[in-house]
Amino acid sequence: MIDDIRAWTAELAADPSSLIFLRLGEALRRRSQMEAALKVAVAGLTRYPHLPDAHDLYARILSDAGDLERAFDEWDMTLRLVPTHAGALKGIGFLYFRAGENELALQHLEAALQETPDDEGLAQAVERVRDLLQPPPLEPVEPEVEASAPPPTPDERVLLVDAGGLPIRGRLTDPAGVEIGERIGALLAGTAREAARAAGLLSLGEWQGLLIECTQANLCLVKPTPETYLFEVQDPDVPIGQLGLRAERTARAARRWLEAMR
Amino acid sequence: MSRTYLTLLDPLTRLVGARGAMIVSAEDGLVVAEFLMENVKGSALAALAASLANRVARVVETSGRGAPRFMQLQAKGGSVFVALAPADLILVLLTGPETAAGAARLEMLQAVERMG
Amino acid sequence: MRTVEPWVAEPLNAFVTESSARLTLLMTSSGQVVAQHGFAGALDVMSAAALGAGIMASSQELAALMRWPPFRIMVHQGRAQGHFLCRFQTPRGWWIGLVVYGTDTSLGLVELFFDQLVEQLLAATPHEEKPREVLTADFEAELNASLRALFGR
Repeated sequence: MIDDIRAWTAELAADPSSLIFLRLGEALRRRSQMEAALKVAVAGLTRYPHLPDAHDLYARILSDAGDLERAFDEWDMTLRLVPTHAGALKGIGFLYFRAGENELALQHLEAALQETPDDEGLAQAVERVRDLLQPPPLEPVEPEVEASAPPPTPDERVLLVDAGGLPIRGRLTDPAGVEIGERIGALLAGTAREAARAAGLLSLGEWQGLLIECTQANLCLVKPTPETYLFEVQDPDVPIGQLGLRAERTARAARRWLEAMR
Repeated sequence: MSRTYLTLLDPLTRLVGARGAMIVSAEDGLVVAEFLMENVKGSALAALAASLANRVARVVETSGRGAPRFMQLQAKGGSVFVALAPADLILVLLTGPETAAGAARLEMLQAVERMG
Repeated sequence: MRTVEPWVAEPLNAFVTESSARLTLLMTSSGQVVAQHGFAGALDVMSAAALGAGIMASSQELAALMRWPPFRIMVHQGRAQGHFLCRFQTPRGWWIGLVVYGTDTSLGLVELFFDQLVEQLLAATPHEEKPREVLTADFEAELNASLRALFGR
């Protein structure tokens, strides 16, 4: 391995545009030489910004280095370039699994397995996630938005409102514990309309979400259904990339609850 | 147009999928500086982004969670990123769906720091 | 809403909805009100229109004196309110828009949607109708007729 690294390094030095950077970067990553791996990957990406394997390599390095948010972005980019890229499907699948999003994890891991059916480790991972998603025993349980949301905190942080901004479910309080759900709901209706208008007039299609990073929290507004909006507040130390994932999870619970109510 | 502002906007336009970057007056939604692809209507982007930012600011203020500093409007066909800058300005970036949000956020927050 | 020309109603309604303008007057370049929409309150609409037309006319003269192209837009921005004046050409001649807006919208939005209003008015203008010649003898009668239509007097 060391000889290979030496040889590939020499080859890359002689020809900086060589695609050998992919093998070199991966080898350095496996040896936990993260700084060197990052330099190689970033230099390669600069030359080949549309090469899916380059984004995949970079994502793997970022994931090993603990920068999951950026790793997600890089694998997401890889999939935009090649929707069937096995490495990216696997990577995003594992990230979703780590975030507790088992349904999305399974979806991506199964897609990866279709591309690489001989990957035994991947096949085992798929089985494991399938087991976790086995439906619970049937018993009457009232669906709760809060049950699927992050653990409760002293102030309430999740609010579901209708298109007119009237609260349907959940509560929202400010850091002093004052109930603000109705006021926020009223503002959310206008904000959502503004978001829809901006997306429409700028030819971006249907708006899907609004992520807001503040000095004291991160906020997220999503649409569980065309007639409802979900507003969630998270601590500022929750990475903003995870904010969207969590809000989507809560939105799915909200949809199930709304269906059950109907 | 100020060379300084164009220098600030240049790195943003180099992001994969970027369609336009601008500095906008938050209060009146007018363009201060812009660097756009030819099919992007700057006045519309400026006015709509500023309006959305002002609405978000009211939500944040009511929620008692400090002040907004960055936001992303996600849509099927792309995103509008907004970072709040000094002197009642906002930094706006319009992108396609292929733009990495993490990279856009970092570049914009760095640009805001340079504006300070 | 009040309008002398019925085809103005829909574009004007759309403009007020999108821009959140408090009051919008559309007038000819001589200050005759064509349409009105919004909270006029105790405002003397006809005087406001005449003044708006006068402001645009004097700004044109100033531009001509300075050998500049004519101004299309003029804005008076106050703390809580702004006035937006815009001159635009229609098949019926030059018109002026006077838009009063508050802090719940912005100049950028007013300008954005006013441009759309102009496009929609141009598209909606009936083309088969030729502008009638205004003879001096009929002018007073025409003016009174449009006033009656506008204000129901």
